[in-house]
Amino acid sequence: MDKTEKAIITEEEKEILLEIMNISFGKAAADLAEFIDIYIELSIPYIHVLEPRALSGYLKKEIKDNLDCSIVEQKYWGKFKGDALLVFSAISSRELLSLLDTEKDWGYCSDPIDVLEKESLMEVGNILIGACVGKIAEMLNDIVTYTPPKVIIETQPLDSFFNFQVEEDSSIILLRTAFKFKSTDISGFLFLITSNESVEWLKSALSEFMERS
Amino acid sequence: MKKILIVDDSRVSRIMLKKCIGNSDKYEFCEAENGQVGLEKYRDFRPDVVFLDLTMPVMGGREFLKEIKKENVDAKIVVCTADVQRKALDEVFSLGAFTVVKKPPAKGCVLDALSKLDQINK
Repeated sequence: MDKTEKAIITEEEKEILLEIMNISFGKAAADLAEFIDIYIELSIPYIHVLEPRALSGYLKKEIKDNLDCSIVEQKYWGKFKGDALLVFSAISSRELLSLLDTEKDWGYCSDPIDVLEKESLMEVGNILIGACVGKIAEMLNDIVTYTPPKVIIETQPLDSFFNFQVEEDSSIILLRTAFKFKSTDISGFLFLITSNESVEWLKSALSEFMERS
Repeated sequence: MKKILIVDDSRVSRIMLKKCIGNSDKYEFCEAENGQVGLEKYRDFRPDVVFLDLTMPVMGGREFLKEIKKENVDAKIVVCTADVQRKALDEVFSLGAFTVVKKPPAKGCVLDALSKLDQINK
């Protein structure tokens, strides 16, 4: 834990937030498993506190095969406010499409495949991000609204994408969880980048959550 | 006094579970932060019931469950997990879990699990 992390979030608050993230992504995975017949292997989430200028470098390092990935982005806002990024490898998006609709032979429609892949990513992203962020907000007594999901396919350089509008003297709380769809090549990460505006509210909401529990 | 072992990497989760169980005069608690430590503590503490998380570092809950059932087929394991996918729940039941409590644990569900264990032990 670096100096910024110590100043912005205590060890106890971090542990509470990790447990909330764990519960919320578990709920999101279950919601998706109702929609498509898969099992999502969950992992232990992590929290990082970063200065805004370090965010782009951090994300690029985390997404090691960043020249070959697809990202679903959705912003959310309530008292809990930020940016959700669901990152899939390019292989994942193709396999995801076959999971969503195995009846059709996509090989006969070469041109629209990119569109279909994009739609399948948006659908899965919408479910995972919506259920996860929604559950976090619910557990912290908040309600959030979302922008429509946006898909960024691998052709766009990540540098141009990681351009968040944040104040330079602020800090970002970043929640990260990795996932893998069992018996497939589909894997990825979910990043929740919590806005600096939410930090004070978040600290008090975490304390209230523990008092209620 | 009933002995309860809680195996969960999240300290917050262990606190929440103990709050739900309450009544410290009736229960003696022991805690472990992963399945491997849980196995050691199980052998020393000999709990009446284990509350077990699934996703943990070092050794996860499924592996713990398999090991414990090899050692003691009658071990009473209540899985307390955020992984509420149907396939995960089916799997832990097939491995011999007594019941499952979904996270965040609700007091009623936790006490209900303990009460059912009391009934089968009578």
